[in-house]
Amino acid sequence: MQLNFAAREVAIKLVYYGPALSGKTTNLKALHARVAEESRGRLMTLDTKDDRTLFFDVLPLVFRADVDGATIRVRVKVFTVPGQVVHSSTRRLVLQGADGIVFVADSQVSETENNAASFLDLRANFKDMGRSLAQVPLVIQFNKRDLVKIRRDAEIDDLARRGTDPVYKASATRGEGVIECFFGLLERAWRSLDKEHDLASTLGLPSDLFLERAAASLGYDETARALSAASVRCCGS
Amino acid sequence: MRASRVPPPAFDVVGDLNVRIEDVVDREDLFEMCRSAQALFGLGVRVYSSEGALLANEGRELSMCGLVNETAAGRAACGATVNRAKSVDPLSSAEVSDGYLARGRALGADHVVHACFTGLAYRIVPLVYETRHVGRIVLGPYAPADMKEAPALLVRTLPTLDRQEANARLLGLPRFEPSALAQIAQHLKTALEVIIFSSHKAYLTSKMHLYSVRESYRTLEEKNERLEEALARLKELDRLKSNFLGTVSHELRTPLTSIIGYSEMLADGIAGPLATEQAEFVDTIHRKGEQLLALIVGLLDLSKLESGTMSLRYAPMQIGPTLKEVVSTLAPGALKKGVEVELALDRTFCELAGDAERLRQVFVNLVDNAVKFTPKGGKVTVTATVRTIEPGALSEVRGTSDVDDIGIVLLAAPHLDQKAVEVTITDTGIGIPPADRAKVFDAFYQVDSSATREHGGTGLGLSIVRRIVEAHHGVVSVQANEPQGTIFVVTLPSAHARRVMPSRVPPAVRP
Repeated sequence: MQLNFAAREVAIKLVYYGPALSGKTTNLKALHARVAEESRGRLMTLDTKDDRTLFFDVLPLVFRADVDGATIRVRVKVFTVPGQVVHSSTRRLVLQGADGIVFVADSQVSETENNAASFLDLRANFKDMGRSLAQVPLVIQFNKRDLVKIRRDAEIDDLARRGTDPVYKASATRGEGVIECFFGLLERAWRSLDKEHDLASTLGLPSDLFLERAAASLGYDETARALSAASVRCCGS
Repeated sequence: MRASRVPPPAFDVVGDLNVRIEDVVDREDLFEMCRSAQALFGLGVRVYSSEGALLANEGRELSMCGLVNETAAGRAACGATVNRAKSVDPLSSAEVSDGYLARGRALGADHVVHACFTGLAYRIVPLVYETRHVGRIVLGPYAPADMKEAPALLVRTLPTLDRQEANARLLGLPRFEPSALAQIAQHLKTALEVIIFSSHKAYLTSKMHLYSVRESYRTLEEKNERLEEALARLKELDRLKSNFLGTVSHELRTPLTSIIGYSEMLADGIAGPLATEQAEFVDTIHRKGEQLLALIVGLLDLSKLESGTMSLRYAPMQIGPTLKEVVSTLAPGALKKGVEVELALDRTFCELAGDAERLRQVFVNLVDNAVKFTPKGGKVTVTATVRTIEPGALSEVRGTSDVDDIGIVLLAAPHLDQKAVEVTITDTGIGIPPADRAKVFDAFYQVDSSATREHGGTGLGLSIVRRIVEAHHGVVSVQANEPQGTIFVVTLPSAHARRVMPSRVPPAVRP
């Protein structure tokens, strides 16, 4: 997080992590297409000829929250990392300073091992940077729910209930579950930053109010809480 | 000393920083864009940074402006207007107050029309990147479509100005409809914002490239460090092993000498006559003692060669006498076994710089081996020929050549008449399977461990052979003798060839 008190501006960095071809860029594209135009910047993709992410993608989102007569500008930069194993050093660079992680897992049964390997890679990278994954807000997204030969709903629900991190089911190509997952992380990230930097009193922006204003700016007035809560554990589906 | 480890970058390479137009767009290119817009629309275009610095400016002076600029007061008023236009914040929705020389009207957040005291106007459009204000485009001055005559403000500001002339000049100017202006402004804004976006993307790409390479380098450095540590540890272990072997061999030899000596004395009847059976037993003790001694001497030689403590005494020598001596020593024993040993020396006059005693050891080992593995009725042939060698040929066989095709003309040793002696030991024995040929020179390696029981030996001989040959800058190799048997080939460079040969011998076996 970068906090500019003078300009009353907060910059938050969220990172979409996950194995190659699990749909991180597709998530960002879906997010871009589903948020209000005035609150989003251009989606920048740094990819290769065959549409594989080379360095990262980034989607800047900006919204204003008027609190006690003063305007606070919140800049959320949403990044993806390159999933291919070979880009390990680039992943570490993008992860640096992340305020929250969406782990985009591939629901296909055949990808189970790749999901696990990528998650261990994420953990190792945080350790390398002197941070612990336990201290970073994390939500897990099981993407590609529209495909066949995927991990069964009951299995994911059961695993989600046993774990500590909220799990969202999504189909990024159809845009399903993408917004829910994003708000889920946004809320947790702010809550964690608030705990660390006391943003509720320094900026007058407690997490409930933050989520409400963010959602209104992004075109999801009054539905953010329900969206954020739509993880497997919370709704018990 | 251990190099300090470089930590991964502790800052966010892609952090949320303000992008400045002047950092990402080339100034000349910006000018060119303004120039082409001016040519297309007939409208002055200026680009300012967010701090108000003029980055590009293209526009012709309008006839009306020329009239105003004829007087000092007019020039001052014009300058003040331009300064005001520069400082108007197009993102602020506040009404721009009527000033001394200028009045402006904020029309929402997307643009501002800033009026000049002459009745002309400027249109100011903000440039936005990642929703941050990074600069502005100022279009104008232009004549608004609804302008009828010079405003009262003009007369108030410049009372001496010829009003009729001013009106004539003003009304002669082309008019711009607000909708057309909005389109032009939007077009320029979009084009410039796309350029900023693309340039920033290219900038980020190269920055990521640089840092990714740095990060990869860092991880490789770390791995190298670990490998180097492991290598140093292994080298130390290897040295300890050689030392241990050396010490143990030496300690074993001392009591063994006594055993051999006393058994010899017993056999010679110094301690009184022996019965036939006793003599046989003593003879066995003596023979086995000699075998054990040979093994220990071999181990000692190997550890000396490995630790680099064996000193070779190089002197000018010929290979012929050495081979003759070897064959004459081993031929009688071989004949007893029914194996013929033949020596074929073919014009072998070639001066070598070698340690004759060690080379004798090499050929004794090879010929003895050949006899050992050749069944009764077989034949072992030792031949020696002198041949011309390619520069680098010997080092290439050893696989340590670092001379590739590029620049070979500069890197190769002078191509003089370099000679080498090639000695082949050919047998008609059991042969060595192709897969094992490279390994036979490893210490303690035996193709078939059951062969040890049948043929004896320790597996040390060939490993010592290779080390001695390599210390002479030579090469030893093994090939099949069709249809049956093995050929060992030892190539030793002439004394002259050795002098011009770059030293590629590992320090451990360097004399």
